[in-house]
Amino acid sequence: MERKESGFLREHGRNLGMLFTLSCALGALAIFSPKYVTFDNLVVVALQMAFIGIACLGATYLIISGNIDLSIGSIFALTAVVAAMLAKSMPPLVAMLLAVLLGGLLGLVNGWLVWRVKLSPIIITLGTMAVLRGIVLLLTGGYSIRSVPKEFSVFAQTRLVGIPMPVIVLILLALSLHFLFTRTTIGRHVFAIGGNREACHAVGIPVRRLVLGAFLSNGLIVGLAGVLTAGRFGSASPAFGVSLELDVITAVILGGVAFNGGRGNILGVLLAVTLLGVISSGIVSLGINPHCADIIKGVALIIAVVLDQLSQEARERFQKNLAKSDR
Amino acid sequence: MTPLIELRNIYKFFGGLCATNDVSLTIGKGEVIGLVGDNAAGKSTLMKIIAGVHKPTSGEYLIDGEKFVAHSPRSARNAGIEMVFQIQDMALVPELDVADNLFLGKELYRKTLGLNLNLVLDRRAMQERSRVLLHELGINIPAVTEKVKYLSGGQQQSVSIARTVFFDARLVILDEPTSSISIKETRKVLDLILQLKAKGISSIIVSHRMDDIFTTADRILVLRRGRKIEDVRKEHTSMDDIIKKIINAEKESMSQETLNQPTA
Repeated sequence: MERKESGFLREHGRNLGMLFTLSCALGALAIFSPKYVTFDNLVVVALQMAFIGIACLGATYLIISGNIDLSIGSIFALTAVVAAMLAKSMPPLVAMLLAVLLGGLLGLVNGWLVWRVKLSPIIITLGTMAVLRGIVLLLTGGYSIRSVPKEFSVFAQTRLVGIPMPVIVLILLALSLHFLFTRTTIGRHVFAIGGNREACHAVGIPVRRLVLGAFLSNGLIVGLAGVLTAGRFGSASPAFGVSLELDVITAVILGGVAFNGGRGNILGVLLAVTLLGVISSGIVSLGINPHCADIIKGVALIIAVVLDQLSQEARERFQKNLAKSDR
Repeated sequence: MTPLIELRNIYKFFGGLCATNDVSLTIGKGEVIGLVGDNAAGKSTLMKIIAGVHKPTSGEYLIDGEKFVAHSPRSARNAGIEMVFQIQDMALVPELDVADNLFLGKELYRKTLGLNLNLVLDRRAMQERSRVLLHELGINIPAVTEKVKYLSGGQQQSVSIARTVFFDARLVILDEPTSSISIKETRKVLDLILQLKAKGISSIIVSHRMDDIFTTADRILVLRRGRKIEDVRKEHTSMDDIIKKIINAEKESMSQETLNQPTA
């Protein structure tokens, strides 16, 4: 007997919840701060979100595989600084490409360390986070890298039909990852590894390669975010990306990705990034003390996680009882 | 007819400890073997030798009459030997759905731009084949798109057993397949083992529950202290006999045994 799945709400409830909250927030802003809900302003908001959004995509991939990288803030800063420094002595495009590759390399180093040392990735990447931040400060002497050639900023500052390039990059990347997650073997295996690593070993899935791949992708994507940020400002500060990892983890978990891996979706993460972005900028535009935004974000995260936990437990109980009474 | 599996004089030592002591056995195609014995009788060592987890210290292991060296669980799996673990240390991914779990590591693909890149999943085909397989095996599951974590213990166990069929298993080793599932569901799992038999797939069932053994097995093997002390067709024995073999035999020959071999 086949029962049709009635799980639309279950699978998408959280996303619908975020969509609803987002609509409410935008509706309230439209009433109390009409200037906020204009195309020009929304584009600025989107641009601000794009960089953290891109970083979130990499982290999503990694967290779903059951890992985490706390050093992304430092990788972000290092790639931005290196790109800006290199751009002074070589074609900017080459400099940007090299910096992104550097990000990938650093991600891979993290992955390799996590794999070899078999310690919690939290501890390993806490270490690399400090090391890389130290390197950034050494390289820059604590000062921003300025007077970078103008061409360096061309890509990040271009707009296509009014949409800034970083936003377009975010959307394209999100679409590709969504395809990867839902339609391909790689995506399926990454979810499976996050869900039950032993089982994946047992059926011969190349776990090591896929986990290293997740770290690599995360590094490349964070590097891209760093380079785009440097491009946007035409300079790179050694303070770039400080506590980026916390903002990213907040958004990713709020977006419905399981911290232990195995579960999550790109749409949820995008919605969470948008929601958090609108909260930060909306509060400023309403003239409320910006520190309130942090409180709201924190409360939102906790509410989301608690709701999630409760609904999961209820669902599991319900389903198990159903299965028993079916016999 | 050559048996599917033949073990000849298998010994396995762990240091000075003899876990498997001169065990010889055959498993025919489609035959169901019940493996019983008290704790530390060497059941799991024997299972693991067959599944390629342990290498025997000495003795011969033949598959289809040909010498087989199982270097790893992987090589045993390639030879068609699948082990189904207890559901506590389950070999399924709870967050993935039934179809995904059945095809885990053996996914079906769609052609990408007319090429076989083995990249894009053919989800519809996997779901369809899962439905057919589960139906064929009489496994009752709400939907193949249901996440495994929402299934009952018996359903999860059935899915792990069904998966061996997808992996072209010829011998399925089941370690306490009915522990920790409800009595109603136990029946379903045992039926499933008989279904495999009907498909010509052999199995070894390790269980403490004599009912399970007598419902499914063609032949019953009793192990004690690493030795095979009984190998009998089900018709020629009874539950009482087997239980006596497991327990009483110990007392009768205790003194002599302990002289010959260090205890397991």
